[in-house]
Amino acid sequence: MSGTSVPDAVLRLQSVTKRFGAVTAVDRIDLAIERGEFFALLGPSGSGKTTMLRLIAGLERPDEGSVTIGGRDVTDLPPYARHIGMVFQNFLLFPHKTAAENIAFPLRMQRLPRAERDERLAWALKLMRLDGLEGRYPNEMSGGQQQRVALARGLISRPALLLLDEPLANLDRELRSEMEVEIRRYQKELQIPFIYVTHNQEEALTMSDRIAVMRNGAFEQVGAKTEIYTHPATAFVAGFVGHANRFEGRLVELSGDFARMDWKGTSMLVPKPRSGGPGAAIQYAIKFEDLEVARSVNGFDLAQRNWLNGTLRDVIFKGQTANYIVVLADGSEIVISSAPRGLDLRPSEPVIVHWPVARGTSFPV
Amino acid sequence: MFAPRGRTGLAHRPHFRFACLAGPGAAFIVVALLLPLLSIVVFSFWRTESYELYADWNLGNYRDLLGEPAYRTFFLRSLAMAAAVSLVCLVVAWPVAYVIARHGGRYRLLFVLLLAAPFFTGVILRVTALQGLLGPIGLVNMALGIFGMEPVGVLMYTPFAAGLGLVYLFIPFMVTAIYLSLVNFNFELLEVAKINGARPWRAFVEITWPLNWIGTAIGLVLVFIPCLASAVTQRFLGGPQATSFGMSLAQQFGETGTWALGSAMGVFLFLASLVVILVVRRTIDLKRSGFTGALGA
Repeated sequence: MSGTSVPDAVLRLQSVTKRFGAVTAVDRIDLAIERGEFFALLGPSGSGKTTMLRLIAGLERPDEGSVTIGGRDVTDLPPYARHIGMVFQNFLLFPHKTAAENIAFPLRMQRLPRAERDERLAWALKLMRLDGLEGRYPNEMSGGQQQRVALARGLISRPALLLLDEPLANLDRELRSEMEVEIRRYQKELQIPFIYVTHNQEEALTMSDRIAVMRNGAFEQVGAKTEIYTHPATAFVAGFVGHANRFEGRLVELSGDFARMDWKGTSMLVPKPRSGGPGAAIQYAIKFEDLEVARSVNGFDLAQRNWLNGTLRDVIFKGQTANYIVVLADGSEIVISSAPRGLDLRPSEPVIVHWPVARGTSFPV
Repeated sequence: MFAPRGRTGLAHRPHFRFACLAGPGAAFIVVALLLPLLSIVVFSFWRTESYELYADWNLGNYRDLLGEPAYRTFFLRSLAMAAAVSLVCLVVAWPVAYVIARHGGRYRLLFVLLLAAPFFTGVILRVTALQGLLGPIGLVNMALGIFGMEPVGVLMYTPFAAGLGLVYLFIPFMVTAIYLSLVNFNFELLEVAKINGARPWRAFVEITWPLNWIGTAIGLVLVFIPCLASAVTQRFLGGPQATSFGMSLAQQFGETGTWALGSAMGVFLFLASLVVILVVRRTIDLKRSGFTGALGA
């Protein structure tokens, strides 16, 4: 899971630990980032992801463990000796420098010859589509422009690694989804590994190759984003990535890859949890889009499906999809996400929610 | 019959309201500041004889002021003193203000107030206290005497002692000005600079210094200008070699009673201060200082 066996990792963390007083912000983290990888650190606020980024940048020193960048142990090196780039949530452009001066700052610090500096600046301006804004001061630019300047500054020296700390959190929704696509494009073009911290699962899923879900300073799960999405390793990951309905019940019996679960008197067949025998408390999580809603289950092979009766309470139209909120017999609500067309259901209509038994994931509690 | 004036009445016009708010203060400034200044300008073109002012207009005072080498010496001495004191204050105050702003935590304000504590007493008392410390029978030299050592001559009635006194008097202004600038400074920018390859000293030169230059410049002006005019400190601590322009000016209004010449000296001092302010102003480029407010018309 840790991936420390990767031979030529650009970044390698070995049991890195950071404590602030009694709080362990980062707890024995092992990680290896490969060349050209887009890696997302996903977690709720306070999960330690920003601290981890600061440890990699050298803004914090680990209490234990080591940080290696490009094969060089940088654990005791200050930030300016690490040759990395970083992009921040609040942009943090130098307010007294123009866009061009901000972008060229790292090159000046490296004492690059003037001609090469100008050449790189022109390249960065073009890459970020900032032509014509060279002479603007940060307060004369929009949020999106400022963020592109910040990205250009982070990338211009072709760092070994680019760290991004919630870079899109301060942008409005439309701009954000535009920038998501652009950032991924830069990353693939430049093949510089990006480590992207976010609490926004959609951002992580859209942009990254690999995701680490963090909680309380440790990794809950590290893996390819599809893996994280479809096979969450823990109940926490299942709840944090994607939108899922959760059922808490008791395991009745195991049969092959499946387990029979009792949920408030209703029997459901669910994928077998990692551990636990009959009588164990388990939680079953199933994503909104894995459920189907219908007036009846005619035409389905009910042996291979679970189903629940309920009443449609509301339909929340979201464009490409709609969320169908169904009140079950016991009064609890579940949500089904489905294409709105073709389903002409009306609120307060009795409906049946059904899904194939192989879907969803169950966890020991 | 009068038509009801309603909300279009005088009291509802914004200009009238602003005039009501700003008027008294503006009037006070005109009366208490501009009028005396104006009268000084007028006196400087008059003549004094036997402690009496005579309104015959002439340039004699300015001729004396610029022609007499003693005044030139006093002025250059004051200028050099003000420059040296400002520089020392700058070098001493920056680290102090920086440490308070950066690491003072919730006691920041208390620290700044403590630095200003000597102000609660008054100039004469503070200078006298310093005299007691530095003078021939002062604490420092007494202590040296106890151990059988020679007293430190440079501390007793020398320009150096006067300079020390001025630094002590004015450093709180410098610390406060720089502190106020630094509390509004985003220290995160230094982290950004370091990540982008700047060593600590370079980060200071590139980021901290330019973004706090306005506050620093205000501090410099606040120290330089009163130092240029100062008289009391030199008189108490400086000895004969420290006679300042301000001391000479005070003399014209006191012992010698040559008010007209004193007024001309005052005008000269005012103009010199104005030049200093304009020079400092020229170094301030609002955009280059990270100023983000509206630049105005």
